[in-house]
Amino acid sequence: MFGYYLELALRNLKRNPGLTALMIGAVALGIAVCVMTLTMYRAMSGNPIWWKNDVLYAVTMDFWDPERAYFDDKQSLPPEQLTYRDAVAVYRSDIPARKVIMHKAVGILSIDGVDVKPERYTTRVTTKDFFAMFDVPFQYGGTWTDAADWGPEPVMVISRKVNERLFGGENSVGKRVRWDDNEFRIIGVRDNWLPLPAFYDVNNGPLEESEDVYIPFGWNAALELASAGNMNGWKPEDLKTYQDILGSENTWVQMWVELPDAAARDRFQAFIDNYAIDQKKGGRYLRPLNNRLTRPDQWLVDNDVVSNDNRVLVGLAFAFLAVCLLNTVGLLLAKFLNGASITGVRRALGASRKQVFYQHLVEVGVISSIGAALGLVLGGLLLMGLRALYTTDVNDAGGTQALAHVDLTSVVTALALAFFATLAAGLYPAWRIGRIPPASYLKAQ
Amino acid sequence: MAAWNLRPIASALWRNRTGAMLVAFQIAIGLAVLVNAVYVVKQRVDKIGRPTGMDTANMIWVASAGFAKSFDYEASWREDLATLRAMPDVKAASLMSNIPLSGGGSSSGYQAKPGQVAPNDTVPGNTYNVDEQAVEALGIKLASGRNFQASEILPPVDTFDSSPQAIVTKAFAKDLFPNDPNPVGKSFYDGLSKPITIVGLIEHMHGAWSGWDKLDHVVLFPRLKSGPTGVYLVRTEPGRRDAVIREIEAKLGASNPGRVLRWVRPFDYFINQSYLDDRNMAIFLVSVTSALLAITALGIFGLATFNVSTRIRQIGTRRAVGARRMDIVRHFLVENWMVTTAGVVAGCGAALGIGYWISVKYELPRLDLYYLVGGIAVIWLIGLAAALQPARRAAAISPAVASRTV
Amino acid sequence: MLEMQGISKIYRTDLIETHALRDFSLKVGDGEFVAVTGPSGSGKTTFMNVAGLLETFETGGYRLDGDDVSRLSDEQRSRLRNEKIGFIFQSFNLIPDLDIFDNVDVPLRYRGLGRQDREKRIKSALEVVGLSSRMRHMPSQLSGGQQQRAAIARALAGDPRFLLADEPTGNVDSLMARQVMDLLEQINEMGTTIIMVTHDPELARRAHRNIHIVDGQISDFKPYEPHEELPIQAATAAAMSPA
Repeated sequence: MFGYYLELALRNLKRNPGLTALMIGAVALGIAVCVMTLTMYRAMSGNPIWWKNDVLYAVTMDFWDPERAYFDDKQSLPPEQLTYRDAVAVYRSDIPARKVIMHKAVGILSIDGVDVKPERYTTRVTTKDFFAMFDVPFQYGGTWTDAADWGPEPVMVISRKVNERLFGGENSVGKRVRWDDNEFRIIGVRDNWLPLPAFYDVNNGPLEESEDVYIPFGWNAALELASAGNMNGWKPEDLKTYQDILGSENTWVQMWVELPDAAARDRFQAFIDNYAIDQKKGGRYLRPLNNRLTRPDQWLVDNDVVSNDNRVLVGLAFAFLAVCLLNTVGLLLAKFLNGASITGVRRALGASRKQVFYQHLVEVGVISSIGAALGLVLGGLLLMGLRALYTTDVNDAGGTQALAHVDLTSVVTALALAFFATLAAGLYPAWRIGRIPPASYLKAQ
Repeated sequence: MAAWNLRPIASALWRNRTGAMLVAFQIAIGLAVLVNAVYVVKQRVDKIGRPTGMDTANMIWVASAGFAKSFDYEASWREDLATLRAMPDVKAASLMSNIPLSGGGSSSGYQAKPGQVAPNDTVPGNTYNVDEQAVEALGIKLASGRNFQASEILPPVDTFDSSPQAIVTKAFAKDLFPNDPNPVGKSFYDGLSKPITIVGLIEHMHGAWSGWDKLDHVVLFPRLKSGPTGVYLVRTEPGRRDAVIREIEAKLGASNPGRVLRWVRPFDYFINQSYLDDRNMAIFLVSVTSALLAITALGIFGLATFNVSTRIRQIGTRRAVGARRMDIVRHFLVENWMVTTAGVVAGCGAALGIGYWISVKYELPRLDLYYLVGGIAVIWLIGLAAALQPARRAAAISPAVASRTV
Repeated sequence: MLEMQGISKIYRTDLIETHALRDFSLKVGDGEFVAVTGPSGSGKTTFMNVAGLLETFETGGYRLDGDDVSRLSDEQRSRLRNEKIGFIFQSFNLIPDLDIFDNVDVPLRYRGLGRQDREKRIKSALEVVGLSSRMRHMPSQLSGGQQQRAAIARALAGDPRFLLADEPTGNVDSLMARQVMDLLEQINEMGTTIIMVTHDPELARRAHRNIHIVDGQISDFKPYEPHEELPIQAATAAAMSPA
């Protein structure tokens, strides 16, 4: 019977190609706008490390001004970054399975003797566990040792993109480069990695590309590096030397730990709390005890990574879809009722209500499928248009790469949404036409 | 009015209400979206259109980065600035620590009196280390006081030190000294209670962060920034900006092998980046709303056409018994107007509700009722336009239709 | 074969009650050719709708082939219509964008028959009505009389217990009308029961029996007068006689 219904549906749709095109168009447009916004929303606010969400924690401690909370709008939260001295001190704990303290910097990479223009790159100054903790893939080589962190040793990990630019993409482990005119040796090449959003550093914008160079943490003191992120302090301090900054109350270092189970988490929480209490004796940590371990999904919420803008857009997209579907329902109803006399004949010839219903539902299904497929294609085109809106510089296609990443789950979800939403919209018209009493349309009165 | 037949039209509509309800829902959603979209877009457009206080159309930013270990950035800057200032069409060139409206910069809190003050009494200011040509290069207007002199510009330091003098914006000064309209010569204090004398008062200037509510709080210090990276600000004669950009790239690009000329960009580049989200939101809203209204119009058109096509015999009969063409047109326009109004009534609540929610969430001024009135007018017009053609087609139906048997 | 007892059908609106059929009783035997006549508004159409299981009724009983079909669900009635009744309409009611073959196919599809079975039935039905050469033509390419014959083929293809014809010659010219009536008689002679609704007394006379409806009730009853006994009648009588 399905084959027969399909045949009838296709015939019916061909009979009035204008109306059919209109219905499919309405569905496709609604789906396209919905898909475009949902992809944008997902790209900007999904949890890109969801598989490790239960073991990773951002470490924050409240050493801020006793008179005033760090955040105006979220007064219960401690500052998002740590001071240098606190980070280094807490790093000594061996409770976490993995731990990382880090910050951003910028430096100019150049190679001696090669005719490649020196280029400035965002650099992550970090301890060795960064890559393993965030499941960062390597193309060649690997990370450094603990000794390298504190030596510090002049070793470096570069991104695949930089490797391609400087070395043509070949295995560059062991080669030498200059970072801000200091010599470094490459020990690893990081493969393409673009977690969206880049949650591990609050200084990152939501669509920002990850950094291209990684050097061991100890280099900040050795080279007196300035942090390329935000630096905040509550206490007026006379800071004359770099050492002063390292010992100050300014926050500029991020810390994450990996705690494999609840017991480890409790122990680490106790550790940082004890540290804070200890510091209180020295006249620091004047606020009430407020040290937090925050999981990535909560971290995203706390740091307002889900922009308010986007939430409204999602509402708008669904409103648009609703209008499109309502339109389609109206068109279907009109079309089906127009064919009521033929349906009356079929009923007289023995089609039951259910058979009439299924027949028309198949017709709705054809429209759903074509509309959904078309909607996805259209949605893809719209996304490309959106990328154009965000690219202001021909050379600066950084964040827009994010919008191009439509992963398989999104596509499948969108297809399913499109198909079933339209099918649902068609349920009422198909049901209505089935209810036609067989006698009513038979006689030409 | 009796000839308008309102009640019979309404009851006939009610009896076949499914199609009409579908369209009315679309209209309700359309109104809610239209009203709020216009509201949000207007806020954004206003935000982007705020005067910056600077001569942005003729300003260029040049980023230089020295990377050799022994890079003498002070000498490099002096050389570069000399080259830039010597160029024809260049009014002024200055070394700056940051770029306004770029989203990046420094801010500190300042106070009117020395010593400990309550947190509420600190006034934040967006700070820049500048030289004596900065005021000219920025194109800002000094309401009173004077510019820095070349001799007053201090050498760079590596840490956060304020300077004994500053040029500040009126808005910043007003927060510090609310009762003094012209505080030139007065001193304010930094977090370490070091005094800073106000040497000049800027009429108006925008700082680094376009979303900051204290965007007009700017503090200029007479000090060269510390290296090795620096950014030059170049102001050109009106209309000469693009030509000067090319010249800068040519002249400075090759002049010093120990440094990299990272980019030469017009100020508009940074301002557009700053307002990118706002601009894109506005474009997105306008596009989606227009599309939505177009689809709704299509729905209204479809309903009107369907109503006409199922009532051909009835229309013919009406005409046969004396209705004029105008009466038929009016009948369908009235019927259509009822559906539209039903949708409008249903949508009003949603429009106002959503508007209230947006004003709370985004901290915007409340939705003006004008938006709602305007929205309703637009929807009525769209409804009218969409139903016009079907109504006219109905009027063209011949009265002879009534007597046909098939 | 078909027995209606005391059927009454009432159409109700908010203000009016119309008794379209009142206390209507009728028996039709196997192989009969019955004409139902009456002025317009008399209830002929209602009778046809009820007899054809297109509509339900308020009181009374209806037995088809010995089974009580009075209170069946829509699903059951649809199936019975499909299997036992063949409809022929005044305005043919062929589906315009299907060809003749596919039109005759329609009721067979709802029966769920296999492709070969359906093809066989369609071809033989079209042969009976003499339209085998027009199998792939569209209805618009056929004359009025040919379209009605196609509709008759459609009614026959499913081997119904009886044909229910509503003014079968109403929309054709007189020459075609005679052809259609000849065909109906031929089909009846082959053993199919036919109930024909008509307002034309000429046509009614060609049936074995006339039933006249006025105001929802039978007013006349012309008894069955056999001119000659048809083979099927004899066989039926023989089969039904107590022996």
